[in-house]
Amino acid sequence: MLKRLLVALPTLLLVAASVFFLMRLIPGDPATIILGDAATPDSVADLRLAYGLDRPVLVQFALWIERAVGGDLGRSITSGEAVGPLILQRFQVTAAIVCASVGLAVLIAVPLGMLAAWRQNSWGDVAIVAAATFLLSIPSFWLGLIFLLVFGLWLGWVPVVGYVTFAEDFRGALHYIALPVATLALIETGVLIRMARASTVEVLRLDYIAHARAKGVPEWRVLARHAFPNAFAPTLTLIGLIMGSLLGGIAVIETVFTLPGLGRLLVEAIFARDYPVIQGVMLFIAVIYVMVNLVVDLLYPVFDPRVTAG
Amino acid sequence: MRLRASLLALAASLGFSMATPVAAQDSLRIRLNADIRSTDPGVNRDANTDGLMWHVLEGLVALRGDATIAPMLAERVDVSADGLTYTFPLRRDVRFHNGQSLTSADVAFAMERYRKRETNWRCRGDLDGAVTRLTAVETPDPHTVVMRLERPSALFLTILARTDCGQAGIFHRDSLNADGSWRAPVGTGPFRLGEWRRGQFVELERFAEYAALPGAPDGLAGNKAPLVERVRYTIIPDDAAARAALLAGNIDVLPDARTRDLPDLRARPGISVHSSPSFDLQIILMQTTDPVLRDVRMRRAIALALDVPELVRAVTEGSSRPSRAPIPVGSAFHTPAMSEVPARDLAAARRLAQEAGYRGQPIRIVTTRRYEAFFEIAVLAQGMLREAGINLELEVLEWATQLQRYTRGDYQMMAFGFSARLDPSLSFEMFTGPKATEPRKAWDNPEMQALLEASMRETDPARRRATFEAMFGQLMQDVPVIALYSSVTHAVTPAHVQGYRTWAVDAPRAWGVRVQR
Repeated sequence: MLKRLLVALPTLLLVAASVFFLMRLIPGDPATIILGDAATPDSVADLRLAYGLDRPVLVQFALWIERAVGGDLGRSITSGEAVGPLILQRFQVTAAIVCASVGLAVLIAVPLGMLAAWRQNSWGDVAIVAAATFLLSIPSFWLGLIFLLVFGLWLGWVPVVGYVTFAEDFRGALHYIALPVATLALIETGVLIRMARASTVEVLRLDYIAHARAKGVPEWRVLARHAFPNAFAPTLTLIGLIMGSLLGGIAVIETVFTLPGLGRLLVEAIFARDYPVIQGVMLFIAVIYVMVNLVVDLLYPVFDPRVTAG
Repeated sequence: MRLRASLLALAASLGFSMATPVAAQDSLRIRLNADIRSTDPGVNRDANTDGLMWHVLEGLVALRGDATIAPMLAERVDVSADGLTYTFPLRRDVRFHNGQSLTSADVAFAMERYRKRETNWRCRGDLDGAVTRLTAVETPDPHTVVMRLERPSALFLTILARTDCGQAGIFHRDSLNADGSWRAPVGTGPFRLGEWRRGQFVELERFAEYAALPGAPDGLAGNKAPLVERVRYTIIPDDAAARAALLAGNIDVLPDARTRDLPDLRARPGISVHSSPSFDLQIILMQTTDPVLRDVRMRRAIALALDVPELVRAVTEGSSRPSRAPIPVGSAFHTPAMSEVPARDLAAARRLAQEAGYRGQPIRIVTTRRYEAFFEIAVLAQGMLREAGINLELEVLEWATQLQRYTRGDYQMMAFGFSARLDPSLSFEMFTGPKATEPRKAWDNPEMQALLEASMRETDPARRRATFEAMFGQLMQDVPVIALYSSVTHAVTPAHVQGYRTWAVDAPRAWGVRVQR
């Protein structure tokens, strides 16, 4: 495990360097944005000096990497906040929603996908596949707005805007994350149903399944005991990729539901050319990807013993 | 009915209840489309920051609703005959949020910080030679402040009152950390800063000891008595979500409703729409050093090919008045002559373009999707110019990129917007100046630059008006820009909000507003 973590270090360095230099290649800089339509050459120069943007880019990179290794990701140009705590604070919101949504999606999608595979080419299979295709075709912002309209505005069950943490108010937090979790879960359910179905169809064709059926093993047991572990392994890989991708930010969902998450932070930072925040968030996302994939790799042998964690 | 009952039962079993109020009855909840940048006035700021901080901090003077200047923390302003000395007797009844009384030493302390280079106060340059030079801030007694200028300026008080300058807000020294850095504002405004949860909301609390002026509220001046215990600015970036939040009762004020939502909102019972013309300016800039556009006949051809009233009607759905003058329609300096919009003349446009040697080569207009109006202006201009045989191509950029191209003067044409300028000199100044030192300036005309500087020194309104009329006349001849209109701010409130008013600057004011649910 330690070896795998060490192998990830060059990847993280590459991500850090790419983000740092690519951001500097994009036109527009923070000083110009802050000063807006009243920017004068003097005021821009003063502000660039204040933010250390007047130094050579390589020097800026070296200073940032040196501090990042020490755990200091710098301060936001926009708000002056320390970037590290800011990321962790925003990540909590995103993580709560993503974990709940993906968990819910797995609970719905895997049984449905397996059911569709078990009844392949039946009306049930067609209905499930059609529903899955429909769900994954829906834009998340549209579904989110429809949910806001129906459950927030018409039925008045949940507040349309706002957020509290579970630590502050457990029940209140449930109110606020219900719609974003439902939106995200439905969309990811579509993706996962297709994967679970495809992998189950393949597994159900294998000889050991036919052998189990020939021995008279009940069908539910064939599915749960024999087909599920092998069929779930590829789905697990997809879950890992989805988790990594969503934990990196669900900007659209966060914007529609006014959640102060990581995705919104990143998008706002990009618009404001808030370099320290962009660099910090991107590095953090890379770390999340590495960690999630590591967890998936470690879990894989549990479902498929042919694969070893080493 | 059974379905709804079942859904309600399901919701109840999951622990949901009907929409929970997120704030107390005596609080006013206002939509904010993005978080504020900081609480440091006029330093790390944007329009949202300015609009929130004017509830917390006050300056010696403040803007009235018609953009004239009124005393705020000062009882009055005495200006010496030579225009070089400004004396501000302070009001005796003013207290800071920490209970301390306002003294001239506090004013001198705040002004000293603003004038330091390391503070990066947005308006430091204006008081350090660009407009005038503030040479001294004196405190002859605890209740009098004297400010001395190097040269007279009609803009001095305007700079002190400008919202983007943080109104040169007077703060108590407790606002700073021991090392001189900004901590949190301790001001004299009607509300004090409460909780700021970044990315979620900013809360203001009523300042019970606020010394309100008599009379009615007027811009950022006049009676600013707080009538609600708490003001919560809820950050809602998405317009559709903000509208839903208003209709669901999760916010009380939608200060920036989209024009296209207004017919539906107006049709709803109990909903009020408040509209005011703003002092901003939507404009098309032209690069006068460009090989195609440096010929004034070509620029005139473009202006004549545009049907400005139709363009403005289409972009604003009829809510704004077309005007080719940079001075906003609501300004006391906007004269009848400035309201005349030259008629479209395609034949003259074609003739002028031909005389200028134009042979159909593409002219690129920079625009962005960030601000829909900019994009729509560019698209409509493209269509209108095509009818005169002028080939306009759109270059759609991300906003930060467009802003950099503007700052560098790197464009042929650009659909752009200037934020509110509250003095007519500043309305011209935003695009007038030497390109050699300020490439963003569109109008590089030394004579007009001299007139502009004269207007900044002149304090007589009649003479200033004459100067601006002369400048406007020349602007219509040179056509470095095509001013189009000032936008209209539309705010929406439900029936339980009383006393809310919009005004020339498109950010809400929470004083004088009552909530009666």
